Formats: sequence, C-alpha cells, structure tokens
Amino acid sequence: MPPFKDEHILLIAPGSQVTLAQLGLPESFTPAKFRFPTRMFPAEKKGEYEPYKIRERRHEVKVSNGIHAPKEDVEMKDAEPAAQEGTNTASVTEAAEKTENVEETQKAEEEQGNEGNEGPKQETVEEVFYEEDVASDEGAIYPLENGRIVDWPCFLALLTHIHNTLSPPFHTPIIIIAEPVWTARDREAITQFVFEKFKTPAFSLMDSALAVCYGYGTSTATVVDVGKGKVDVTAVTDFLVNEHGRGIALEGCGGDYMTDRLLELLGAKGFTWEMCEQLKRSNITELLPPGTPLPGAAATARQGNNPAASASTGAFDGQAQTENVPRGPGDGTQTGAEGGNAEGEEDEGVLDVAAIVSGNTSEYLAQREKEKADKSASKKGAAEQNAKATRLPNSKKEKASFQLEEFVPLQEDGDPKNGSGRFTRQVRDIEIGVERFLSATPRSKTEDRLSNGILEDIATQIHHTILAVPDATKRSELWDSLIVVGNGSKIKGFTQALLGTIAQKFVLSPSATIFTSEIPSSFSTPLPTGGTNTPAPVNQPGLAHNPGGHGVNPLLVAATHANNTGAPNVHPGTPGMDHSTGLHYRSTGHSQTPTSVKSLKPPEYFSEWKEHGSSNAPGASGAGSKPGAPGGGPGGPGGPGSSSTGHGLEEAVFLGAQVAAKVIFVLDQGINKGFMSRVEYNESGPSAIHEYAM
Amino acid sequence: MNPSIPPSAAEYGGDEVSAIVLDPGFSTTRAGFAGEDTPKSLIPSYYGKYSSDGQKKLIFGDDVFVTPRPGLSVHNPMGNDGIVEDWDMAERVWEYSFKSKLTGPKPGNPFQNGLNDIPDGELPSEMEGVETDEKPLADSPLLMTECGWNPTKAREKTIDIAMEKWGTPAFYLARTGVLAAFASGKASALVVDIGASNISVTPVHDGMVLKRGVQHSPLGGDYISSQIRALFKSNSPQPITITPHYLISSKTAVDAGQPPQVKYKSFPPERTPDASYRSLLEERTLSEFKECVVQVWPGPNKLSAISPNGVSNEEVARSSPGRPFEFPDGYNQVFGVDRYRVVESLFDAKAAIPDPESASPAPTQSQTVPELIKAALNGVDVDIRPHLLANVVVTGASSLLYGFTERLNQELIQSFPGPRVRISAAGHTSERRFGSWIGGSILASLGTFHQMWISKKEYDEHGPNIVEKRCK
Repeated sequence: MPPFKDEHILLIAPGSQVTLAQLGLPESFTPAKFRFPTRMFPAEKKGEYEPYKIRERRHEVKVSNGIHAPKEDVEMKDAEPAAQEGTNTASVTEAAEKTENVEETQKAEEEQGNEGNEGPKQETVEEVFYEEDVASDEGAIYPLENGRIVDWPCFLALLTHIHNTLSPPFHTPIIIIAEPVWTARDREAITQFVFEKFKTPAFSLMDSALAVCYGYGTSTATVVDVGKGKVDVTAVTDFLVNEHGRGIALEGCGGDYMTDRLLELLGAKGFTWEMCEQLKRSNITELLPPGTPLPGAAATARQGNNPAASASTGAFDGQAQTENVPRGPGDGTQTGAEGGNAEGEEDEGVLDVAAIVSGNTSEYLAQREKEKADKSASKKGAAEQNAKATRLPNSKKEKASFQLEEFVPLQEDGDPKNGSGRFTRQVRDIEIGVERFLSATPRSKTEDRLSNGILEDIATQIHHTILAVPDATKRSELWDSLIVVGNGSKIKGFTQALLGTIAQKFVLSPSATIFTSEIPSSFSTPLPTGGTNTPAPVNQPGLAHNPGGHGVNPLLVAATHANNTGAPNVHPGTPGMDHSTGLHYRSTGHSQTPTSVKSLKPPEYFSEWKEHGSSNAPGASGAGSKPGAPGGGPGGPGGPGSSSTGHGLEEAVFLGAQVAAKVIFVLDQGINKGFMSRVEYNESGPSAIHEYAM
Repeated sequence: MNPSIPPSAAEYGGDEVSAIVLDPGFSTTRAGFAGEDTPKSLIPSYYGKYSSDGQKKLIFGDDVFVTPRPGLSVHNPMGNDGIVEDWDMAERVWEYSFKSKLTGPKPGNPFQNGLNDIPDGELPSEMEGVETDEKPLADSPLLMTECGWNPTKAREKTIDIAMEKWGTPAFYLARTGVLAAFASGKASALVVDIGASNISVTPVHDGMVLKRGVQHSPLGGDYISSQIRALFKSNSPQPITITPHYLISSKTAVDAGQPPQVKYKSFPPERTPDASYRSLLEERTLSEFKECVVQVWPGPNKLSAISPNGVSNEEVARSSPGRPFEFPDGYNQVFGVDRYRVVESLFDAKAAIPDPESASPAPTQSQTVPELIKAALNGVDVDIRPHLLANVVVTGASSLLYGFTERLNQELIQSFPGPRVRISAAGHTSERRFGSWIGGSILASLGTFHQMWISKKEYDEHGPNIVEKRCK
C-alpha cells in the first residue's frame, strides 16, 4: 500500500451536538474546519435523511414581481450572516430605518391578507418548491444522545453526509473519535459501515479521552469531558485507557444542567430556555470556586457599578427602577460591538449598558428623537462606564449585563430592504444579578440526586475513577494532571471551581500524608523518632511558623512544602515523583491520594489553539459555520482581553485526533497496529477492530 | 494505488463472533470477550434501588458509588456463600454487565428491550449486519463461571437464563478454580481464591475439580472489613467512625488524632439514603484503607509468637514505621501494629479482634487459610498432594493485601516441611483480580470450546439438566 498523505486523511469526531470533521492535516494543526450539527431530518422517502430541514412551500407568487427568493438566497443568509447583520449592526439611524421596515412589513402583510381574501384575481401562480431551511431544527433527529447512538440509520446517514460533503479521494484513511459510551458492538458496526460503504483503505477508531491526551501531549492524565448532557471521566495511564471505574456518560452533569438551573432561577423573570442558554454562553456567567462569597454582600461591589450605570444611563427615563427586569426589545440599538458576528452567540460587548433601551418598540419609537439628541452624550457615558467597570472583575460585580440576541421571524418574505430575511435579528442588553454565578448549584426541584450540584458529582466521579486505577503509584500523577475539556466546560471558572470542589472534599491534609511515626499528637513539634528507617523530613526551625500551616503541624507543613526552600530532602530512590509523594513514598507504593490536585497546562505549540485557549467565548452550535470575524467589542468585565469566535482547547479532542492521525497513518504506517487496513478487515471482520482500536 | 480508482470488491465474508465470558462474583461482576486479557466490563454486583416521582428505579454499575439518591438502598443478588439468592436481580445485574459495554445499549432503547418488533425493511441496507435481535446474546456463545460448591438447582437456573432469557446459541459453565489454574498456565493446581465474601481452596487435577477437596470459608475481604471496623471501635484516643464522602460538604485539615472539623450535609429523613448505602460507601473507604495501610505479618510464625532472638513479633511490628490514613471527614491517624492485627486472623483464628456487635461470628481455626489448605489436601489422593503443593495458585482481589503471599508461603513451608511448596501468584494487579475471568477467556477462545459447549439444540432436547452431565 502506498503511504498515506497528510492531505488525504479524513477525521470525524462525533458529539451529541456538533460533529467535527476535516479532510487533511494542515501544516500546523487547526481547530476543525467543519462543524456539522449532529442531526438529520427525515427525508421524503422513509428511511432516508437530509442534512437540512426541507420545507415544502406552496407559494402564491405574483408573476410580475418575481421576488420569490430563490433558495440560494436563503442559504446565503445563513452562510454569510455577516452580510445580513450588516444591516442591523447599526447606528441608531439605521435602526430607525429598520423599525420602519417593520412597519412596512406589517403593511405588506395586511396587503397580503387582503389578497388572500380577494382570491386569485391577480396574476398569481401557485408554485410548490422545496426549500432547505438551514436555520430550522424542527423535526430534527439527533442520533447521539449523551454520546450514545440512539438512532443508527440516522447516525450512519450523518456519517455519509459528512463523507459526501468532504468528498475525499478513495485512498483516504479515516479516523473516527469514539465516544466512551459506545459498546464493543457499536464499534464493530461502525467499522463495518466505514469499510463497506466508504471503501476506505485504513480505518482507526480512537477513544476520545485518549485523543485528548494526544492533544495535550501527555501519556497520563485524568480527562474530564463535559458535554451537553453528560460528563465522561477517564483515567489514562501510559496511553492506556482504564476502562474499569471509568465514569461513562454521567447523565445530567453537562452544559444543559447549567442552562436548566439558570432557567429555574430566572424563569420567574420571564427568561426562556433559549435566553438562559445565551446567558450561560455569555462571559458574565461564571462559576466561582466554592467558598467564594457572592458579590453584592459587599457594598464595595455595588459602588463600582451602580453610580456609573445611573450616570451613563441617566439620559433614558425609567432606567433605574427596572434594574432586574429584562429590558424590552431594543431593536438594533447601538451594537457596534457585534460586527460580523457569524454565530450569533458570541457577544462580547456586554458593557454597552448605556445603550440599553427600555420599554417596547413603540416606546422606543417615541424616544427615538430624544435619543438622537442624547446620542453623543450617551456615548461618552458608555466610555466612562467602560473604564470604571473594567476595573472590577466580573466576579466582584453584583450585576452585569449581556447581550441577548434573538431571531424574530418576520411574517413576510420579500422585504426588499431586509434582503431575503425571514428572520430579523434583535439585540438587547439584559442585566443579570448574582444568579449568573449559581448555574452549577443544585436545583431546587425534587431531583433524584442528593449531591451538591454537578461539580460535586463530577468530583466524586473523578475520585472514584482514580481510585479504581489498579496501579496505585499512578494515582498521584493522575490527580495532578486533570484535563477538563468539552464545550460544557467553557463556562468561565469551571475548571477552577471543580478543582476547588475536589480540594474541599478529597484532598488530604498534610499531616495525613506525611510519613510520620507514632507520636502522641499532644506533642506540638514532633521529632523523628530514632530507631526507625523513617525517611524523616529534615527539621528546619526556620520554617516552624510557615504561614501555610493553618493549625496543621508546622513540621509537616515544612516537610511537605520542602521544595519551596530548595531543601534536598526528597526521599531518594523515587525519581520522577513529585516532592510530596516522594516524601511519603512507601515500599508498597500504596499511598493515599490525593495530596494535591492540579489541572494540566495546555500545550502551547499550536498557535491556532493557543489563541483561543484562554478564551471563554461561547462557541457556536450552528450549522457548518465558518469562524466569523471577531466581535471587536470592548473587553468584557474580567473577561478575556480580546473576543474570539474560539473553539479552543475544550475541543482538544480534535487536536489530538490530528496528532494521532499524523502518527498512525503517516509516521507509523500501521507498524504498531494503529489502524486496521482493508486487507485485515477482509480477513478478520469487524470484530478485529478491538485489536486496533486505540 | 491510484486514489481515484475504487478498491477491488473483495470483502469480508464470514462472521466469527467471539464468545462472551461472564464471571459473576459477590463483589464485582466481570464480563468481556473471549481472547482478551482483561474483562472490558467490570461492575459492582451490588445494585441500588430507590423511588423517585413514585417510580421505582434501579441503578446498576459504578453509578451506585457516585451519585447519592434519595432513599437509596443497596442490595446484592448473591448470598454470602457465593450462591445466587435473588435470581431475577442476578439476571438483571449480569445482563447489565455485558449490555452496557459489550453487546448493546442499556435497557431503555426500544430496539433492544424486547418490547418492540422491528418491522422488516425499515432498516437501510447497510444495517443488515447489525444486530437488532430482541435477545441480548442471540449471536454470542456464553461462558459463565460458578463457584465449586454451586448446587445443581442453581446451575440449572443459570443455563435456563442464558438460553431462554438471553437467547445464547451456546453455553458452558466452568468452575472458577479450574479457570484460575488455566489463567496461570496450569492444568493441575491447588487454587487459593481470596474473594470478597469467601475464601476457597480448590484442588484441580488435569482440568477437573477434585470435588472432595473443595473447601471454603467466609473469611474473605468483607471479613477483613469487619475486623477493621472492630479495630476502629476500640481505637484510641477515640473510636473512629467512617463518614462517607457523600455526607460531607467540606472538611478542614486537622492534626493527626484530632477530632475532625467538618461540615456535614443533612438530608430530610424521607430522602436519607438507606443504611445499606452508607455501609457500601464505608466499604469503599475500607478498601482504600486495605490498600494503603493494612499489611500481613510476613512471618515466619504468627504475629503473637516470639521470634528466635527472643523479641516478640508484635514488638518487631511495632517498631516498623506506622502508616497514616485520612478518613473522608479529615480525621487522620497513624496506624502501627494494628494494621497487622486486622488480617492476622486469616492465619490465626485466636488473633481475631473481638467485636460483639459484628454480624459475622468469630472465626474458628478450621476456617483459616492454612487449615483450609490442609483439609483440601486431605481430601485428595495422597499421590498428587506433592504436585498440588508445588503448584499453589493464589488469586482473588483480597490476596493483594500486602505481604499475603509471603506469609502464606511461610505457613505452608511450616505445615508441609517435606514436599517442595511453590506459590504462583500473578504479579499484575488485574491478573490477580480477574484470574478466573482470564482463565475463562483462554478456555472460550480455544478451538476446542466448540466441542465443549452446550448448544441451543441440545438444551432444547435435554432440558436444563444437561448442564450436570456436560459441565463437570
């Protein structure tokens, strides 16, 4: 078999929401080029599927007019929303025009209604045409549910659709990232399908947790994959996935939980699920480490915000009284921040509090004149407020606002000024109180779990998973190399809050982990007893009052923190272990864990991923969208300095897939059984994939 | 190869399905494909039961350890002696063990739960090779394991479930002792299996169990746990209570031996999980304790004996450095000689830590490991005894206690000074834990397995009693 080329490798990473795919490995590995929504729509013919909702439209068209938008136009609209958004990325004046548009639309609608009544007097032709409605998810079938394949025909249709879209040549090896929840039989079925349908010369099925490890360039790690509805916790040691004790598809712990919780908190205030989802994705929603007081208790937090807000919004009436209520729609208000925002979910310009328009559209119209006059003033105010607010991180502010973006369907097509849009996009700012920090707290409704929110569930699962690793000497390393990935973990502060939860519940105190001999604990400064072969810590009087002690035996603290002093008291003979484990290393190698818990540093050598690495910018679940232009808004409060459309390292699984593909298809070429070749498939059948599956 | 030319149409023809090996134990149930080196699926044999919104719900798998549920109670379909008591639930637990990771979706998928028929022609042609049968094992031969003292009724019930409920086309029932011997590459061996609820000694000769020699006693891992609990009760400076993690909201580091500073969680009484759940989770902490702290006195001689140089063994043990352990509530303490005492009664019944409240009665000397081995050897032909002693296979998760094999070796050398004693115990943790499963994996992947198994047709002809004739 001729060697495989970089540009021929097809990578597919299915997820419950989005399936990442790419043909070919670029010079430097990039985030996935294609993002397919993991859904299909039943086609006309039973058992077949279409990638988009197909609407049958019967349309009465005036022949003379010819404005019935051909479907290319509809596609254009979503494929390049930037163009469409150009219209409502608007100054106030443009917004005004738009409102007029709305009026026009209404008029047109009335006319249409009249036409209907009058019957086919005018020259109209009834035309049936099929339209791909790319925005709709009505009637969609999601073949993956919590990672599990629930609809096989649909899932295979999706694979076929992806394969057709990327249309690789025949000499294309395929790598698919397997969800941990897939059973052995599932994997065999996929193998059979790929070989027999796509005629691929080589196929590899790689475990998602392992792919993450490849992405991070580590051989041992605890991978926590936070998805939409589930969490997977996997301990990987020496590039081997530990199946026993693995946390597979822990249900109700993913991103949806947080949205549900926000809805529970804010539902009374008129929030819908969609709004909560956007709020969750905005950068004001944050998880605080356990024990952090919520802002608002402190008066200082209040001062930072309110005076500024009232100063800047003073121009508008009724602003101050309605602090907590979601503002009415302010169509096309000053939203310079969200320029070419393709996905429609990454709003960074949350500081445009000054641009909030209260009341509904009619009120807005009434205010319009006044606004024009105040425009310059308010701009100044906004700038002022920006400056003030950025001084306080989001976590210290009692209230913060985010931009809600809605697609409001227009009744009528063919509004000439609005392009072909059947939807109009509205942007409004909504101010949220401390609820935005509570998205991971336990729900008040009777749930069938007793834990303290999802973080505790995940922490418990991590504890269980690591303790189930048979090689006890690896456990300490596993605790120190936690990798949190998955789009559900994008919410700001997730990893830190998780680490905090683990520290609070599971991390051992120094006195329990240090190798001490039996000394009555009433002795305040125990000395190593003689006559034992205890690798006793070197007593360093200078450290007796280590501030890190917190009432714990200072000697023990000194010993466990010995590295800070550079004291060479690490027990010899335990190379490669970190200092704390080195000290209490025992002959059996069985020591209690965790003594510490850390997250693993992401790799820095892939610039495309690095840019987005620190970003909390919410991602798009949208259809095959290409990365839009950055929002270009002012830095969010306490948020990342620059906005991005980023799919960063929470999708490290795809980076890992590329690394692995390069290794197994191009460098290794099957010597180490990294993939199954067609010849081997023909000989041994699909069940042999387990020998190759990574 | 030209990338634009489709490959030739040679395609895979036959469908060789490897057998499934199911090894149900008291503590865990192992399942996997024959020919593999570890079981893909390892689940606790315990299952959880609770009701939510008026509906009874069951939890299988590891989730029972992870998520506390309101009013959750924990049960085990196995009896303490390793014989199934609750057949309905045993079937469910076993089915979960292979369904969850091996053969198909969990219960709830309408295609697989046996409630729905799939109309023909609904599936696209690519799906023809994919199973949509109602019965979970319709295309996999099954090898199951049983303990050496499994009664006839239980064996017949097992084949009944496999054939009728799971629809397996071929079935075989093998004894754990034989399989553990196979796993260490021996056809004849004396298998010492230290499990959770039981320890057993099985003499195996040429792949056959010598029934008269099979011995078992309840001094398994759970007994050691009860000894540890007894130790905690009498602990100084204060008795130790184990508070599982789910009852703790946060803890603060405290000095060794100091009372814990901890924030507990409180549940309303109607939502509080059952005591059985708490004790299961306490067991988790205890197994961590066994891993990190407990140590078997390596010998020679008992812990209570005096060593040749006049110092008592206990004194020697005392002088070796202690081991710290922290409990979920933050309480921590160093355990010295006590960590030897909790397992000493496996070898010396008199050393048992008395606990009047404990459910398990105090052990008798005949239940200890050395006595079981003696009794087993007395039950077999005198000619093969030396051969068995030269092939002692130690398996079972509880045999992983630090120092266990060294001590056993010392005991055997003392009891049988004549013949050569050789212990073989797998060094790898998983090989030791899954000894009988691995043996099953070997057996079921042999070409001769086809001649051993009971086919569906034979079962239909002869009924469940065929298992007595064929699986000896």
